[in-house]
Amino acid sequence: MTPGPLTVALLGNPNVGKSTLFTALAGIPTRVGNYPGVTVEEKLGRFTHRGRVVDLVDLPGTYSLAPQSPDERVAVDVLHGRIAGVPRPDCILVVADATNLPRNMFLATQALEVGVPVVVALALADVADRKGIRIDVAELSRRLGCPVVRVAPPTGEGIAATRDLVLDAVGSPPPRPLPLAAPEAGPTARPAAAAEAIARYAAIERLLDGVVAASGTARLTEDRIDAVLTHRVWGTLIFAGVMLAMFSSIFWLAPPLMDLISAGMDRLSAFVSGVLPEGAIRSLIVDGIFAGVSGTVVFVPQIALLFLFVAILEGCGYLARAAYLMDRLLVGVGLSGKSFIPLLSSFACAIPGIMAARTIENRRDRLLTILVAPLMSCSARLPVYLLLCGAFVPDRAAGLPWLPLKAVVLAGLYALGVVVAAAVAWGLSRTVFHGPPQPFVMELPGWRWPRPAVVLERAREAAWSFLQNAGTLIVALSIVLWALMTYPKNEAVVDADVAALRQSLGESLAATAADDPDRAEFAAELAALDTPEGLAAARRGAAQRHSFLGRAGRFVEPVVKPLGWDWRIGCAALASFPAREVVLGTLGVIYNLGEIDPGEAEGATALERRLKAARWDGTNRRVFTLPVALSIMVFFALCAQCASTLVVIGRETGSWVWPVITFTYMTVLAWLGAFAIYRIGLALGW
Amino acid sequence: MVAVSLDEVSVGSTVRVRDVAGGDAVAIRLLEMGVTPGVEIRLVGKAPFGDPLELELRGYRLSIRRQEAARVAIGDR
Repeated sequence: MTPGPLTVALLGNPNVGKSTLFTALAGIPTRVGNYPGVTVEEKLGRFTHRGRVVDLVDLPGTYSLAPQSPDERVAVDVLHGRIAGVPRPDCILVVADATNLPRNMFLATQALEVGVPVVVALALADVADRKGIRIDVAELSRRLGCPVVRVAPPTGEGIAATRDLVLDAVGSPPPRPLPLAAPEAGPTARPAAAAEAIARYAAIERLLDGVVAASGTARLTEDRIDAVLTHRVWGTLIFAGVMLAMFSSIFWLAPPLMDLISAGMDRLSAFVSGVLPEGAIRSLIVDGIFAGVSGTVVFVPQIALLFLFVAILEGCGYLARAAYLMDRLLVGVGLSGKSFIPLLSSFACAIPGIMAARTIENRRDRLLTILVAPLMSCSARLPVYLLLCGAFVPDRAAGLPWLPLKAVVLAGLYALGVVVAAAVAWGLSRTVFHGPPQPFVMELPGWRWPRPAVVLERAREAAWSFLQNAGTLIVALSIVLWALMTYPKNEAVVDADVAALRQSLGESLAATAADDPDRAEFAAELAALDTPEGLAAARRGAAQRHSFLGRAGRFVEPVVKPLGWDWRIGCAALASFPAREVVLGTLGVIYNLGEIDPGEAEGATALERRLKAARWDGTNRRVFTLPVALSIMVFFALCAQCASTLVVIGRETGSWVWPVITFTYMTVLAWLGAFAIYRIGLALGW
Repeated sequence: MVAVSLDEVSVGSTVRVRDVAGGDAVAIRLLEMGVTPGVEIRLVGKAPFGDPLELELRGYRLSIRRQEAARVAIGDR
């Protein structure tokens, strides 16, 4: 009979090279997911050694087994076999940072008390050597009463030995706990966990006495690096430089890759369109499924690039310094220094930003950051801003001769997102998320070179988990929206719509005087209906106006009318639920331009002309004025019209409550903001 | 004025912890991170806006906010 797989739990402080050891032992994880009911990541791997199959469970990084956070509680529950689907471990492999033994022995000695065989791996042993830290491994093992092994995954040192020791330890009697002195009797009674911590550190001092010897020279170099990088002036300047480099690389390096993906998908769509006959199946595949797949894959470059950067910063120890430098700015609005990078990257795209919030250990801070991240003006809002600013904001200076009004409006929209995010975070942290003070006790890890294998693995894992978990949902949503925009099909209604359009254009043409500038516009629109492309575009527009979505647009007209919108804009806003930038394309279809690319100069000019000429149904009143354009832009600055973001919020928080809350609060704010700016614009006669 | 808690210490000085006030999550986390009575702590620096603080203790670097540092009483034990 072959024995079943063994379960080995990997336990360690955050940032001690636990992931590196995991990869060295088990390679790419066989399963990455969430523990049931909590949003703590579960990572499983498997390796075979001496004929035994070993399941490696990577526990969340924790400082203590006296649990305070959900992450720590999960670690404790796994160790005691209290989690369904994860058997009680046969052995605990404690990863301890060799460069920081006293603090790391805190968790290691707690592990001795679990009642399961323990093996201690001294990670970063090579770094400790370079720093002149010498550890008497044999003596440490004797005093702890469990095997201790040096590991340095880059050189492969200790990996085979770790496998051997783990297999040997299985089945052996559990180690004896390190004896702790009874808490001293004093005037102030401490809680058990506090008294235990004090006694444990006293025991660790005795444990390590004569085992660890350090020379002070390496510390000096580190001090010098630290002195510059956390300096008030230089540190801040370097920080700004690093952030600028990171942000601009997501902004400039990702688009060519994204274009490549879009071009590839377009080619695939064109190929399928050529092979399949025109009809519902082709439409479903090209406009529904492919649109969803391309809308998912297109985020991968940004996610991978951001995680590459975050992993490099984390690997060299700068991520914690960045949080340290920025903490004061963010703590005032109820966030913490660790929120900075997720929020900054949300200016490129909220999806990688929300995923980067994984680096925030504190649940409350993490949730708050995720909730306000979509308010940062992402790159998908930029085309909407640019087109509407270009078309409707007057071409004049704003007070100062060198300051164009268009630029002021654009900057104002970006500032609006930041200010509203700060206000929302401040408000939530004092109401819904109000609670006892959260400890901000953050280790500043030593400076070291990031490990390329770990950095690449982080980027791969982030991209893969997004594709796997969010991708399927985004594609499903895209199919639903396709159906809403395509059905019901009714050729007779479309014919009648186009005939009515022809008639109304003819009447408008007859009613306008020969010198009216609008006359040419009417004539051109009427002439377009006689060309095959123009007719097809008009029919497509009519079909969309009569689809479920078009009807919904008419249905919501009373809601959007106070914003100065006609039902067509309402319809386009509804249709932009998959992604904000879709609004321009939808407006193109609704206004009978057919499929235009608003990203291209030609498409943008055509759309601009048509929007400028648009009138309210049955009247001569123009739809798009400056207040209406501002109202649309403010709405899109604050709304949550991005299905992918909502899906990722659901996935990252492990609950459908948070995306619903995000969508609701952002839509309400967007409506109020749009209403306010429209009314102000009207009152001031813009 | 003689500093009595960790938030009043000037940058570069080394002090000895006398006690950590309270028994809540903040106090327990500080103790678990090694800020225990009797340990020596050096204030390495302060962030650009004077908060949080960068500390060195037990051979590693730790960052805590002034609010938390105020709970760490210093002086000889």
